[in-house]
Amino acid sequence: MKRRSIDGKEEKKNKRPRSAEVAAPEEAVSAAELGEDLLLEVLKRADARTLGRAACVSRGWRRLAEDERLWEAVCTRDWVKVPCGKQQLRAVVLALGGFRRLHSLYILPFLAPSAALPSPMTGRPHPQQRWGKDEVQLSLSLLSIGFFEKMIPNNNRGGRGGA
Amino acid sequence: MKRERQETVEAAETEDEKGKARMDADDGGVDELLAALGYKIRSTEMADVAQKLEQLEMAMGSSVAANDDALLSHLASDAVHYNPSDVSTWVDTILSEFNAPSLPLPPPPLSPAPLQHHFNLPPDGTEQNSTITTVDVPSGPRCPADAYHLEPLHAPAVAGRIVYGSDTQYEVSLSSRDRKRMKLCSSPPSSSSTTDAATSPAVLPVVVVDTQESGIRLVHALMACAEAVQQDNLKAADALVKQITVLATSQGGAMRKVAGYFAEALARRIYRPQPARNLSRSTLDFPAFDDMLHQHFYESCPNLKFAHFTANQAILEAFAGCRRVHVVDFGMREGLQWPALLQALALRPGGPPSFRLTGIGPPQPDHSDALQEVGWKLAQFADTIRVDFRYRGFVAASLADLEPYMLLGPVASDRDGEEEPEAVAVNSVFELHRLLARQGALEKVLGTIRAMRPRIVTVVEQEANHNGETFLERFTEALHYYSTMFDSLEGGVSAAPDAAGGGGRRDQAMSEVYLGRQICNVVACEGADRTERHEALAQWRVRMGRAGFEPVPIGSNAFKQASMLLALFAGGDGYRVEEKDGSLTLGWHTRPLITTSAWRIASAAC
Repeated sequence: MKRRSIDGKEEKKNKRPRSAEVAAPEEAVSAAELGEDLLLEVLKRADARTLGRAACVSRGWRRLAEDERLWEAVCTRDWVKVPCGKQQLRAVVLALGGFRRLHSLYILPFLAPSAALPSPMTGRPHPQQRWGKDEVQLSLSLLSIGFFEKMIPNNNRGGRGGA
Repeated sequence: MKRERQETVEAAETEDEKGKARMDADDGGVDELLAALGYKIRSTEMADVAQKLEQLEMAMGSSVAANDDALLSHLASDAVHYNPSDVSTWVDTILSEFNAPSLPLPPPPLSPAPLQHHFNLPPDGTEQNSTITTVDVPSGPRCPADAYHLEPLHAPAVAGRIVYGSDTQYEVSLSSRDRKRMKLCSSPPSSSSTTDAATSPAVLPVVVVDTQESGIRLVHALMACAEAVQQDNLKAADALVKQITVLATSQGGAMRKVAGYFAEALARRIYRPQPARNLSRSTLDFPAFDDMLHQHFYESCPNLKFAHFTANQAILEAFAGCRRVHVVDFGMREGLQWPALLQALALRPGGPPSFRLTGIGPPQPDHSDALQEVGWKLAQFADTIRVDFRYRGFVAASLADLEPYMLLGPVASDRDGEEEPEAVAVNSVFELHRLLARQGALEKVLGTIRAMRPRIVTVVEQEANHNGETFLERFTEALHYYSTMFDSLEGGVSAAPDAAGGGGRRDQAMSEVYLGRQICNVVACEGADRTERHEALAQWRVRMGRAGFEPVPIGSNAFKQASMLLALFAGGDGYRVEEKDGSLTLGWHTRPLITTSAWRIASAAC
């Protein structure tokens, strides 16, 4: 099933020649136009909304746009200070559901309503609010609670509990 | 006694005059409000019509016993009435059907406003007599409970009549008579306007049922009932409870639910002066059920999340730099507080410490090991984020059963070689107040805590005094507190991402049950059973101070996190976080709800 949003098409028009659009169902062609690495580089600089739309273009694009590294960049970009080492953060967040999930569930709802609107509507790029460590901490806490609530403990009660 | 009567009469009279003034302001001819309902009554005639309707009601009331069906069927089928919208003449015609002479209404103490008739019941009519005697229950100082009976009621008319007397029989029959009367009078389009219109001339000032006013009446009724209970005036209390139930139906939303729960609690108290063992622990009370309610309460409003986040922040700060930490949780339940702390520790610069958790919970009647299950789940979680985690669960019917050696116990001795001692944190969310039910229990527990030499003790309690000396004090406080709580729940199907619409409503409903049980405990239980002995922060400060603890201020990061958290909840505008002397309070509009405070052993006492 083709997944193509009109928005996505308009957005990407600048980036892809027309012929690629026509040939969109044949993923090999469109991806090959830019090359995955290059596409990834471009998307690394994209904001959350763009990433979301990019994921609607085609299966190939979706696979790329959902890459955790991209979303890690989206999340941490606006953090004044990453609370700890990158590796450390990455390990924990990935274990608890990933940056994309973190963003969509526990960062997006907090963003100022204006920030949630796409830039074209307001006509100018607006600065994202910078998040201090408390805001970050809150989002991460909520992520962990969400993960915990959904956890189904595996029932291997080997021996005594604790210790 | 006379004085009270006169006071209420005066009050009623001023209301009446206001009402009259209001009506005179309408065009001098037909009263507008009633005209809108299809009745033409001239403002000048109002008093007259009211009187006549009153007479009519008396007449019908008194004659019922003798020839109920006969008369009514006559009125219904044989008598011919013209033009009911011209109420004045119409009432006249009906009255003439009654061969009874117009009832001699005793001269009211003050002005002849029809309102007075409500408490000057005509001496004839046997039922009415019994009513009067019951109302005049002699009880020391003339208590407002009785005076209240005499106030005119503007609420749905039928309710106005039911007030008098504790004779259930009478009440029931009267209401059915009233209903019959309503049917006879029906002519205007809808039945609801019938009710209003038919009786409104007798209740001058308002035609539309004023929810706000009946809300105030509801509160008055609740207070009066509580007072009656305090004075052991169970008959009056019983009557009032019924009245409360009726008045509650005129309310909507939070007020209705709160009134319902309070009425139920009062009823329990009245009918079972010796509460069954563990009233709060009813048939439905498996701790599992309690936990389930608790879970829903967690989802439906920010209170518990606020408690957890602020306490965690205090603990996190206290654990800064420690390599071995031990948390003792006095109310383990589902362990929802700890994933966030574990995550925060995992992301500490320098890596997580080795973490030990001791969870304390109540005994389970069905022998399921909920404590261990929670422990397993947390262990799995900790494993996911690579935090060294150990867990121990303790079952204790009461916290006072704990001894220090149990909590510090064998695990400490395992690590005799360790150079670094554990940093201990004790966490209590809504658990300490239960200890106040037993003499000396709190002191013992605080002593136990001290013996563990904790770095920090986090205490979250309701910010209300439900442990006052007298029942009435507690009742009043509880009424205000839980009204606020229910109000805050009304606003908020959570806007949190995981909450589906239907789930949100279910959460709200379950939370109301959860709070309802607390209400029941505060109102209906006494002695050792009354475990919901909430006290305000000021009182806790005194207790903690006496036990050798000093307050630790909670930092601004907790404040910021809490503030942000509130934005997630639909009622977010109503919630407030306040900092006071180092403790954080969550409030709804102007009313504080819960407070988080942190403590450590006072240095002087060390």
